[in-house]
Amino acid sequence: MRLTCGKPLVTLWLAVTVLLASAYGPAVAASGDRLVFGSFRSEENAENWAGRLSDLFGRRVEVERVHADDGLWYRVRSAALAPREDTRLRGLAEANDISYWRSRGTLSHADTVTSSEAGAVSGGFAQKAGRSEKPETAGDSPGTPVDMGGLSYGSAGGGFEPGARPTVTRTDLDLGLQTRSYFDRGLEGQSRFQPSLSARVDFYRAWDDESQSLTFSPFMRLDSRDDERTHFDLRELFWSRVADDWELHLGFKQVFWGVTEFYHLSDIINQTDLVEDIDGEDKLGQPMAHLSLIRDWGIVDLFMLTGFRERTFPGRDGRLRPVIPVDVDRPIYESGARDKRIDGAVRWSHHWGPLNFGLYHFSGTGRDPGFELSVKGNGDLALRPVYRVIDQTGFDGQAIFGDWLFKLEAITRSGDGDRYASATGGFERTLVGALGSRADLGLIMEYIYDERGEDAYNTFFEGDLALGARWTLNDVADTQALLGVIWDTDSDEYVLSLEASRQLGASWMLLLEGRVFGGVPSANPEATLDENLRDLSRFAALQQDDYLQLEFTRYF
Amino acid sequence: MDCRCLLALLSLIWAGANAEVPSFPPGFDTLTAIDQGTLIFREKDRLDSGYQDLQVNLQMVLRDRRGSESRRDLQISQLEMENDGDRLLVVFDTPKAIRGTALLSYSHKAAPDDQWLYLPAHARVKKIASRNKSGPFLSSEFAYEDMALQEVEKFDYQLLGSEDCGSRTCFRVQRVPLDQYSGYSRQEVLLDHDALRVQRIEYFDRARRPLKVLTVDDYALHEDRFWKAARMHMENLQTGKSTELRWRDYRFATGLSADRDFSTNSLLRAR
Repeated sequence: MRLTCGKPLVTLWLAVTVLLASAYGPAVAASGDRLVFGSFRSEENAENWAGRLSDLFGRRVEVERVHADDGLWYRVRSAALAPREDTRLRGLAEANDISYWRSRGTLSHADTVTSSEAGAVSGGFAQKAGRSEKPETAGDSPGTPVDMGGLSYGSAGGGFEPGARPTVTRTDLDLGLQTRSYFDRGLEGQSRFQPSLSARVDFYRAWDDESQSLTFSPFMRLDSRDDERTHFDLRELFWSRVADDWELHLGFKQVFWGVTEFYHLSDIINQTDLVEDIDGEDKLGQPMAHLSLIRDWGIVDLFMLTGFRERTFPGRDGRLRPVIPVDVDRPIYESGARDKRIDGAVRWSHHWGPLNFGLYHFSGTGRDPGFELSVKGNGDLALRPVYRVIDQTGFDGQAIFGDWLFKLEAITRSGDGDRYASATGGFERTLVGALGSRADLGLIMEYIYDERGEDAYNTFFEGDLALGARWTLNDVADTQALLGVIWDTDSDEYVLSLEASRQLGASWMLLLEGRVFGGVPSANPEATLDENLRDLSRFAALQQDDYLQLEFTRYF
Repeated sequence: MDCRCLLALLSLIWAGANAEVPSFPPGFDTLTAIDQGTLIFREKDRLDSGYQDLQVNLQMVLRDRRGSESRRDLQISQLEMENDGDRLLVVFDTPKAIRGTALLSYSHKAAPDDQWLYLPAHARVKKIASRNKSGPFLSSEFAYEDMALQEVEKFDYQLLGSEDCGSRTCFRVQRVPLDQYSGYSRQEVLLDHDALRVQRIEYFDRARRPLKVLTVDDYALHEDRFWKAARMHMENLQTGKSTELRWRDYRFATGLSADRDFSTNSLLRAR
């Protein structure tokens, strides 16, 4: 694999990774630990000691009742601590000669105290007792004042190690039968009926206290008409290492960013698997190294995207394609590294009150290609996808106020012609128990804006209004339906879409999907090449592709 | 004999184990019904707290009027937070069409809860409006708000009296949800005197008609300290439908952590 040196982002990415890793590297303490500062026979003494410690630490120290074989104890301890708080408290305790020990699982299980820790504790307490009012200690013996290790509670024999999570293995399989029925034959006489089969496996195995895991999800479709739609993809194949406040994932993975319903503008990590569906929600597995850091001020995700996935396009015999088929075998790359270029992205996401938001920067080969007209060896016209290197900064956020959900996605991109901005946003309002029934009705309104207007070559949407209604029956079969329309307010093009699903028994699902493309000038087979090219970014290309799709999925 | 002694005595007879018993301040009997109701739920909250974290498997059995059944299997994880409401993670195992779907909820004492839903089909995390809390949870007779962690601060209370409930004596406490989006005008909760275990809840809809009745059975003492029910049964009085919850395999203090197991990141890898 060739590294593209001289691309500053890779260097920057590595620098950021190293910096963040050193500043916020994995802490030693496991989050959820508590610090114990001694145990008392007298509740009053325990409260006094807890009060003094609370003042010292600037946070509440608790007194916990412990029923032991030799009676009731009052144990002074902190609440479960985040790693950095844990470090702060231990620092303060040590600076003030206060002994402590770490406790996990204080409930009915004996704490594990090593002998050296126990010694330090007793020493500390002797000291402490010498300069303050004496806390009562176990058996009034300074040697065993706070050692709860001998207490036996309940069932756990000996030390209690939380997080002894079992090894988990899960394997699932989905098989799908899909039939697409088009209202008309294609512009080049393609078939009206397009059945296909699909299979997806989900394998997951976690081990090592669930801190490591492997996910494997291959996907395959066999299409009866379109060779390009018959395809295999590693949707996911990655190894994960998960610690308390960071995660590392290596391999092929799916990452989705975005909030809006109709147009996924800010989503950029994974390439669209366009032959699956034109809604842009099916994605190809993206090879990556993904480091995620969890902080009080949000989550920072760092991505090194090792290799580029080309968009899938329907073949000559397929439907829902441009008038001139796309030649996926001859893509044009701006980057000399072609599909070996290493791309990068950084994202910060957080939630605050009713707000959830993410802010990111992506640098690399853009996922959405332009096209260049070419003539193949056999004289056929073809469109070669052109992948440019871009820099894109994006935002996605939503806010909830009562039953109103406001959404916004915005990007600005350079490297792809002049720098431009694009945004989509709107609201969703849910009427719970609509019309006195159990059903919920969601009303959605969104607007899509692109600064380039009709010159936007890589999207259908430049100034479009989208309206939708989501109907959730809340019945046992989990029936739902989403009806939507996206309407170009300038050209009067529109696409009408319906998605509905319903479970059939415990392991079957029925999915209904339909789309109607309308308001476009009738196709002209004699159209000039220029006209054809311009129509690529318009629904005109799809005007004969209205369809209804039925899909049965069996879950194993 | 004041209330505290009475309760201690009752607990010796019935509970037997060394679980902590409810205790109320001296003069409890002389307080107003509102104060008494509030104190009962505060004491219940104290008895229920200190669990650190817990995990439990839940099976839901949905029954319609004709008796046909439908099942759902869920894994539930819960984390006690120090200065905020607790956190809840629900992962759906069956029906298989929705397996891997996960719900993360941060309850807050004063502010509305935060809830996110993870949809594995598109690797997408969606924030849910808490307004939807009165809607059915997984098509069951339990609403989202019934499944959520119920912070003491979210209701107004009033003790209505004491009465027999099965072989025990129970407080009957009325509680009124403070959340304007709740689907209930009020609830009447029966808690036994010995350990403040909820035995029965009667729900009244916004129009103040009886809506649902929850009965809770098969309590067992876990970790010598926490009473947890193995069976709950919710009956909808208006539709005749019912939902049974079977709780299995409670595990306490398993070492779950806020960042690793209860962040929006952890939703993405919930299994």
